[in-house]
Amino acid sequence: MWGKIKHWVEVRLGLEELINRHLRSYKTPKGANFLNTLGFVALIAFIVQVITGIMLLLYYLPHPDHAFQSVQTITNDIPYGWLFRLIHNIGSNIIIGVIIIHLIHVFLRVSYKRPREVTWISGCIMFFLVLLTSITGQLLPWHQTGFWQTTVTSTIPAFLPVIGEGISSYMRGGEFVTGITLSRYFSFHVVILPVIISVLIGLHVLLIRRQGISTSPSLEPESSKTSSTEFKRENHPEGRPCFPHFSLKRLFMVMIYFAIVFFILTFMPNLFLPPETNIPANPLMTPESIRPAWYFLAPYQLIKIIPNDIMGISLVVIFSAILLLWPFFDAKEGERNILKRPILLSAALIALTLWGIFTVWGMY
Amino acid sequence: MKRYLLLQIVILIVLFSTDFSQAGYRETFEKEFMLSPWSIAKGETSACIQCHTSDDMGPEMHEITRQWKDSWHAKNNISCHDCHGGAPEDASMSMMHQRGFKGSPQDSDIPEFCGSCHIAILDNYLKSGHGKTFCDAAEGPSCVTCHGSHNIQQANMDIINEQLCSQCHTYERAKEMKQALFIVENKLSSVEESLAHLQMLGINVDDQEKSFFRTHLEFRALFHSIDVEAVRVKSSDYTQKLEIIESKIDDSFNKLAYRRNFSAYLFLLFIGLSIVVFLLSKSYEQK
Ligand code: HEC
Ligand code: HEC
Ligand code: HEC
Ligand code: HEC
Ligand code: HEC
Ligand code: HEM
Repeated sequence: MWGKIKHWVEVRLGLEELINRHLRSYKTPKGANFLNTLGFVALIAFIVQVITGIMLLLYYLPHPDHAFQSVQTITNDIPYGWLFRLIHNIGSNIIIGVIIIHLIHVFLRVSYKRPREVTWISGCIMFFLVLLTSITGQLLPWHQTGFWQTTVTSTIPAFLPVIGEGISSYMRGGEFVTGITLSRYFSFHVVILPVIISVLIGLHVLLIRRQGISTSPSLEPESSKTSSTEFKRENHPEGRPCFPHFSLKRLFMVMIYFAIVFFILTFMPNLFLPPETNIPANPLMTPESIRPAWYFLAPYQLIKIIPNDIMGISLVVIFSAILLLWPFFDAKEGERNILKRPILLSAALIALTLWGIFTVWGMY
Repeated sequence: MKRYLLLQIVILIVLFSTDFSQAGYRETFEKEFMLSPWSIAKGETSACIQCHTSDDMGPEMHEITRQWKDSWHAKNNISCHDCHGGAPEDASMSMMHQRGFKGSPQDSDIPEFCGSCHIAILDNYLKSGHGKTFCDAAEGPSCVTCHGSHNIQQANMDIINEQLCSQCHTYERAKEMKQALFIVENKLSSVEESLAHLQMLGINVDDQEKSFFRTHLEFRALFHSIDVEAVRVKSSDYTQKLEIIESKIDDSFNKLAYRRNFSAYLFLLFIGLSIVVFLLSKSYEQK
């Protein structure tokens, strides 16, 4: 029976050929390790957000009078609604963790050099858009935390000269966080941003497939450096077939991703849902402390400690721009092994340490 | 041709981003949707608070507002004008009697003043020894004797203490009352704690909270009759009511335990799968 179905599909799709061409004969470089799969994990994590998000959408109501209650209904009354809501909530944090590690890994392998600048930039934009998706998602349950975090995050751009006020009032659709803000955030969260991110994922993956995964500089020194002025696809003759070798590595990491999500779901389901997320938004009552999500602690702290508001926000914008355009700051042909570039390595480590220190500092 | 297309797109974008404030529909939209109670901090716009905390006011006036801000009434959006009347949105007319301003109540008016909202308690109080002696002889305690007027906090039997209750009679009577309240009060506070805990875990306890609210309101209204015997007799009724709530609370904790087991199962499943995939991957590596 199974054989018959397989044959039926085979005749019509040519699945065998598809797998052979795109997976078996597609080789991944020798040094490809578990960290190389993080991009794939991020893709799966995004799909998980989309699926759980659509499930939430079946019952969620984007209106200030009903949003909180509808999310309560999802978690309490809809069978297994809690599962989807909590996976969506925990997943939104894990996906950002995955993307950050992916980004650091790509940076330390200096994989962003020609011809991969566009891959880096598309990845960076996706990172920023996922952060925006998180910001907008935070408001949807219309609880105290989300309401007041939105009040703060939508005020921060106002410090920017000239365009700041415009951005702020565009984000809120007025002077305060209101029903208009909710409608706006809702459409960005469930349609606009996911669609843009999907398109960028397509571009990102296309580029990677066309160029091949970059080699590990220490294992497989670049063979012909001169050819980088024309298109060249790295075939990795010494490498291993993507399927099944690398695919199994990917599958392993995806299982780890799910294991982490369910670990948090089992032992600390409220890790990302502090007590105030169970209180409906109340514009009359400011919570004692309004702390942003963990991935925003560092920039938030930076803005807080710099007494000059314009300087603080400008620094964050400048850092983001440098991160986005980094391949052009380090555009020279040259060493791709970061261990042989002590200045770049130490700059990267200092930046990471500072980020860590500011994050921890922001918690207190 | 292409240029016209581009022009059209630009025009469309400009059209969409212009302000439609003249269109009229936006005004109603803003009124109904944007300026609803959840959007604007109405407490901040109270003229009473603004004027009573201005620099012209003496320290006692500032103290009144400060006490009110910390009170349980403030947390429940009961503001100056809800008690004193008047027009909080209109600074020049706010304390006119035509606008419903009641002023500061005379001592003898206080029970009615508070009782306009706390009706059941007022009933019991007026029938009690305290209420009767207060109204007839101005001797018994009024609401503010025991609760204060602006710094009113959530009430429980801790209010009954030697300093307060031995002003007019021996503490013996008060102590007897406190002992009678003890069993139900204990249960009340444990149920309250569990409900708060469940709410923080994301469980919807609105129904239980409502019946809990009704129960403590009735029971504490009963206290105001200061009839020790009545409290003792009714205690078992209230314990029963609270036990029904407690069983619902247990259901919720069971629900949480089920969730935990279910996700623990998924966690183990994926740990198992990851081990299998890892071994498989290792075996291919060697080939
Ligand atoms: C423009 C300033 C101003 C505004 C607005 C205002 N008050 Fe007053 N209020 C005063 C002053 C001054 C006094 C003290 C003088 C007096 O006793 O008449 C006072 C006294 C009072 C008293 C004590 C009166 C008494 O009989 O002893 C009460 C109660 C009071 N205000 C309530 C309110 C309330 C409620 C509002 C809002 C609806 C309000 N006030 C708005 C200035 C103001
Ligand atoms: C829970 C009802 C309640 C609320 C709310 C309330 N008051 Fe009062 N207020 C009273 C009572 C009762 C008195 C009578 C004085 C007493 O016996 O303490 C009083 C007295 C006063 C007095 C006269 C004080 C005196 O010593 O003569 C002022 C002034 C006053 N209130 C202002 C305010 C202001 C301003 C607010 C809002 C911040 C406010 N009140 C909110 C119940 C209330
Ligand atoms: C405008 C209506 C109103 C008036 C007048 C009013 N209250 Fe209240 N009171 C409330 C509301 C609403 C609550 C909060 C709901 C609750 O917890 O019962 C409350 C709560 C309380 C509580 C705490 C209840 C608890 O759950 O422990 C006390 C005590 C109290 N009021 C005493 C007074 C006293 C004393 C006065 C008169 C000075 C007064 N109230 C006047 C509306 C009012
Ligand atoms: C302002 C004075 C005053 C204060 C303060 C006071 N009481 Fe009383 N209380 C009285 C008076 C007067 C009576 C007598 C009424 C009577 O004879 O029926 C009384 C009677 C009682 C009785 C007996 C009622 C009866 O029918 O046998 C109890 C119980 C009681 N008080 C409890 C308390 C408690 C508890 C407190 C403290 C929270 C308290 N009282 C504070 C004045 C006060
Ligand atoms: C003799 C002191 C005394 C007087 C007088 C008094 N109360 Fe109380 N009140 C208490 C005590 C004690 C409690 C807590 C009872 C308990 O824990 O069972 C309480 C509880 C309350 C509560 C809380 C009810 C709840 O559901 O939590 C309210 C509201 C209240 N009183 C309002 C009033 C009002 C209004 C008056 C005047 C009509 C008044 N009290 C007069 C001592 C007093
Ligand atoms: C990049 C992917 C996404 C991220 C990072 C993300 C993040 C978030 C976050 C942080 C919340 C608040 C969660 C909470 O407090 O429970 C949220 C809520 C929500 N999201 Fe997403 N989301 C993503 C994709 C999607 C998609 C694709 C949809 C729908 C098609 C969706 C629909 C919803 C809905 C309806 C809510 C409100 C319900 C709730 O709060 O539980 N999300 N999202």
